[in-house]
Amino acid sequence: MTLAINWGNAVIIAVLGISVVFCILVLLIFVISMFGKIMAPKIKVEKKAPVAANVSTNEKAAPEFEDVHIAGIETAAIATAIHLYFNDVHDSESYVMTIKSTQRRYSPWNSKIYGLNNNLVRK
Amino acid sequence: MKNIFRLLFISLLLFITNNVFAQENDAQPVVDETAVTEEVMAIAETADTEAVATEEYVEEDIHFGESIVKFLQRTGLSQLVDHWKAIIMLLVSFLLFYLAIVKGYEPLLLLPIAFGMLLTNLPGAEMYHSEYFAEGHVHWECFRNGAGLLDFLYLGVKLGIYPCLIFMGVGAMTDFGPLLANPKSLLLGAAAQLGIFVTYFCSIAMGFLPNEAASIAIIGGADGPTAIFLTSRLAPHLLGPIAVAAYSYMALVPVIQPPIMRLLTTKEERKIQMVQLRSVSKTEKIVFPVMVTVVVSLLLPDATPLIGCLMFGNLLRECGVTERLSKTVQNELMNITIIFLGTTVGATATADAFLNLKTLGILAVGIVAFGMGSAAGVLLAKLMNLFMKNKINPLIGSAGVSAVPMAARVSQTVGQEENPRNFLLMHAMGPNVAGVIGSAVAAGIMLSMMGS
Repeated sequence: MTLAINWGNAVIIAVLGISVVFCILVLLIFVISMFGKIMAPKIKVEKKAPVAANVSTNEKAAPEFEDVHIAGIETAAIATAIHLYFNDVHDSESYVMTIKSTQRRYSPWNSKIYGLNNNLVRK
Repeated sequence: MKNIFRLLFISLLLFITNNVFAQENDAQPVVDETAVTEEVMAIAETADTEAVATEEYVEEDIHFGESIVKFLQRTGLSQLVDHWKAIIMLLVSFLLFYLAIVKGYEPLLLLPIAFGMLLTNLPGAEMYHSEYFAEGHVHWECFRNGAGLLDFLYLGVKLGIYPCLIFMGVGAMTDFGPLLANPKSLLLGAAAQLGIFVTYFCSIAMGFLPNEAASIAIIGGADGPTAIFLTSRLAPHLLGPIAVAAYSYMALVPVIQPPIMRLLTTKEERKIQMVQLRSVSKTEKIVFPVMVTVVVSLLLPDATPLIGCLMFGNLLRECGVTERLSKTVQNELMNITIIFLGTTVGATATADAFLNLKTLGILAVGIVAFGMGSAAGVLLAKLMNLFMKNKINPLIGSAGVSAVPMAARVSQTVGQEENPRNFLLMHAMGPNVAGVIGSAVAAGIMLSMMGS
């Protein structure tokens, strides 16, 4: 049995379907954006107002704010540090001082002899 | 050798005694006293002692040779000769085992599916009866006559329970933060659903019925639970092939998507670095699932089971006061449901349902659905770049097909091939989770248009 394809129905279902998907998701975009404007965390610091000589003391300018968000690189660094801290993969220190003071006046570290080229001496 | 002779002698002795007893039984049928029921005994005590037994159970004679023949006939091996298609299905299940275990293609689902397929195609095991669920509804009266384990477990698929529980787990594991930070990514999630509706056309053209075409088309949503949910409602007889196709193609996302992404974008477009996403407050994350449930359910009630469960799981995660429930939904509940769902969906792939031209058609159209969805997402991202101040990398468009988080990872990988300093993962997660919502909405639309 061969069924006749009703292309009209198929077109209606496809067009209506994709349109409804877009409409619902566009509506969600508006709603999310609206909620975002109300609820988004605002990390703001007050800008230092420039000293203006002519501004009268009665008319105080409203303090200007600038939005401060942590940069991506800083976020990555903090995340890595937290990850290392919680997973305990950082280098463990022995807390033992390995550099010790010496009583010798001259040592290979401060002797200029070691910093000079010694010519070959034929004996 | 002595032992072998001893064994042979004992078996011969047993055979002779059995035959002798059988002949005696032929002559004098013995009344099995133990077979007299308690009810009869009670009557016998009160009634006349001569009229003792009202019913007598006569045990049939057993002949050694006949028993062996009967036993051999009941083995799966002898039935395999008549069911040659079952052999092919067993081989298909072995192939799926290989793909899941060796190749690592979605093993969490492909392995239970393969095992369900193996169980259902073993002749004589009677683990699953497709006729109990024929004509789109459950024949409860058949369950009284005896049903296999998988028949009972399949009720969870048939009644639409498992996909919703899985969606709850998916919601509990999903961070909608990137989507909230960049709501425009919902558009990319919507565009990727174009593949579903284009595939619907292709399926209709191939001769599938509208309800079958809708079930096949949802493969393009790259969302296993959604595909299973819709198919179990619209075309349950195609559940096996559609589930196998959906999960196989989802596993092949890293193979299917990159060529399409490279074909549709220029080198410069792939290098685009996107601006840092804004931080999202906890309040936003808590309000979001409630708000989406209300909005979507009021507009499209058919999508409520999927969207509602997805958002419920997400609310458990984000509210911060139900950590135990959130962990249970993410782990134990999710894992148990996956086992039941995978096994029973695999069980629907019987030889008769799987080995036909329709399955080949589904596999062919499924890959078209995937490709079209990915392409539509990339193309819409390019279109959006014409109007937007902050350019978006078109590669994140392909993540609009769900396949969380595989599709987002593919965007990240392809993006880093061109620009190693480019980190697209979080940007791609926006369209990716939007795709989950989009495919659930698309399934709801299909259901409202074609469901009874």
